[in-house]
Amino acid sequence: MIRTRKRRYYLLLYLAPAAILYAVFMLIPILQSLRYSLFTGRGLVPDEFVGFDNYVKLFTQFPFRDRFINVLKNNFYYFALVMVFQNAFGFVLAILITRKIKGSKQFKTLFFIPTALSAVIVGFIFKLVLNPVWGIFNIALKSLGLEVLIRSWLGDPTIALPVLAIVTAWHNIGIPVIFFTAGIDSISVDLVEASRIDGVSVWGEIRHIIIPILAPIIGIVTILTFVGNFSEFEIVYSMQSVYGNPEYSTDIFGALFYRTTFGSQVNSVNDVGLGATIASVMFIIIFLGVTLIQRFSKRRT
Amino acid sequence: MKRTRIVWLVLALLMVGTLIWAGGGKEAASDDSGAVVLRYTSLRTEDQERENSKNAEFTKLFPNIKIQFEAIKDTEYDTVLKTSLETGVAADIVMLRSFDGGRQIYDGGYLVELNDIIPGMHDTFTANSIATWATEDGVMYGVPYFGSITGVWYNIDIFNKYGLKEPETWAEFIAICEKLKNAGETVFAHGTKDQWAITETLYCDLGPNFYGGEDSRQKLMAKEIKYTDPKFVKAYEKIGELVKYFPSGYQGIDYVTMQQMFLNEQAAMFIAGSWELGIIRDAEVNAGWFPPPVEKKGDPLHYAFYADLALGINKNTEHMEEAIEFLKWVASPDHAKLLANALPGMFPTLKIHYDIDDALALEIIESTQMSHVVPTGQLMWEKLSLEEPSGETLQNEAVQRFLNGTFTAKQAVEYVQKGLDTWYFK
Repeated sequence: MIRTRKRRYYLLLYLAPAAILYAVFMLIPILQSLRYSLFTGRGLVPDEFVGFDNYVKLFTQFPFRDRFINVLKNNFYYFALVMVFQNAFGFVLAILITRKIKGSKQFKTLFFIPTALSAVIVGFIFKLVLNPVWGIFNIALKSLGLEVLIRSWLGDPTIALPVLAIVTAWHNIGIPVIFFTAGIDSISVDLVEASRIDGVSVWGEIRHIIIPILAPIIGIVTILTFVGNFSEFEIVYSMQSVYGNPEYSTDIFGALFYRTTFGSQVNSVNDVGLGATIASVMFIIIFLGVTLIQRFSKRRT
Repeated sequence: MKRTRIVWLVLALLMVGTLIWAGGGKEAASDDSGAVVLRYTSLRTEDQERENSKNAEFTKLFPNIKIQFEAIKDTEYDTVLKTSLETGVAADIVMLRSFDGGRQIYDGGYLVELNDIIPGMHDTFTANSIATWATEDGVMYGVPYFGSITGVWYNIDIFNKYGLKEPETWAEFIAICEKLKNAGETVFAHGTKDQWAITETLYCDLGPNFYGGEDSRQKLMAKEIKYTDPKFVKAYEKIGELVKYFPSGYQGIDYVTMQQMFLNEQAAMFIAGSWELGIIRDAEVNAGWFPPPVEKKGDPLHYAFYADLALGINKNTEHMEEAIEFLKWVASPDHAKLLANALPGMFPTLKIHYDIDDALALEIIESTQMSHVVPTGQLMWEKLSLEEPSGETLQNEAVQRFLNGTFTAKQAVEYVQKGLDTWYFK
């Protein structure tokens, strides 16, 4: 008994470095920002206690409320689009890669290369590619005789967000591909062979073998995407500025938070208290979202 | 994926932090020769070389002081400035935006008061430009650096090709646009993706002739008229007439693309400010300039010529004496002359005469001295942008939505007024 208790103290000691680091860099900042959301004032440290005024402002006052509802809508739309363009498409690619086709292994590496780039670099590259004056994309469409398809890709409020979602998907598709191929590779060969002998079609194999076995991995990928999308900032920042241009159509939580907290461009006023409020709401949404997805994917398995 | 990125970021920050902590910060303060290095931060990334050659003149006078020019992209400048002042890593000399932008920095307690330190500014600078960086009680916190004029740049070669000449009235202006468009030319290097650009260089450039310029700006500030006044609506409608001459896909064209289009001679006209003259000279474009067209001949010309940027001293600078020395120099007529020639298109706001060598810069400044000119400034920069939603933010959004066709002129002004009603007109 004494020995085990002693051992427990040792355990605490081993845990301490990580626990302290986690507390200093994660826990304390999170609690601090929750606290700041109840304060207001100019400067980086808001000092005037206002209770829930910031929340009331964010949820009820023009134009803060409009901006908030807009980012909420945009962020969920963006998440749904990324789920399709990145994860569903990544799933299809993973299945193709794991078929025994010559050279398929090399593709896995190929798909992962963009992921190694910084989001800001990806953003700037695509901003150039999609530029309506000298962007190579519209020029390519023109030379293919597809002039009718030419759009102001980053300037049209109805398509700007889907374009951003595609860029995000291009950037991060390596991650679901790696996850899914690892999952598919781990499926026992016997199981697959047995099903083939029984005459199961490819579609049947995907539906009845791969998807059920991959369910926990799909859950993890969904959670990663959800957390990533609701804290995304770099892509919007580098392609559409902190205003989520055009007309706030690509405005998502990260951009709204940055704009509110630090102020931006000519003659706008920064409000760290309100920014902390937005961060707190983001935290709650991400927390609830992750819990829900986790529960859902557990039930499926 | 996010987590690993954060870990790398933290590691990188720790490394950088350690480097600075270990003395990297101190090294920057003086160089090998023992001279003091003054850090001077600006939002004009275009001016790196021109600023350096101008500031070298200062080092000739004061060999023990060197100026290190550090420019930050204009759209990020305010954020970086505020956070760096707050965290104590800001430059010694900081560039200040006019009115509410600079006032926020002063109110934050980051700036040195200049009344006693740099005497005599009232004798050299225009009263207007001094008031731009002074409190109601007359406390001055910025030395006016330069003023900007907004109008229209045009490509002389393209104009000559079609036998066009500078328009005076709006009707002549539209006729030019029509002629160029029919000839298959790109009329304007203009897009709506960067909100500040379409407000500062479109609504507040060509608009004043229709919303009544300075008179309406003062009345709006005094709450005598509202933003929903028919004059402001008319200004929206007028600039809206230009949209059909914008390049295709204009909603996706940002300010940098606009600049490049004009510099590469891909467009005939560029509605912008005098501050572009430096890069126009660098690119050797054969460019001309005309003031915003008036509605009909004989109308007063409401011309935006406003004190744009100033320099202030960071209160926490380690080199107070050197910083004061530098600003004294900046406030001197000698500097004004250097600035006007080293950075053409940027006009010192001096009462006294100074020579300008660049012919076009001279033409621009002389155009503001015509008898029918009524100078004005940016509509939302004074008082109307001290709180959120700031007049500038609202107007930026309204102009963008209007030019993109999402808002009618009436909806645009109502939107801005609704925002101002929440605090300014309360």
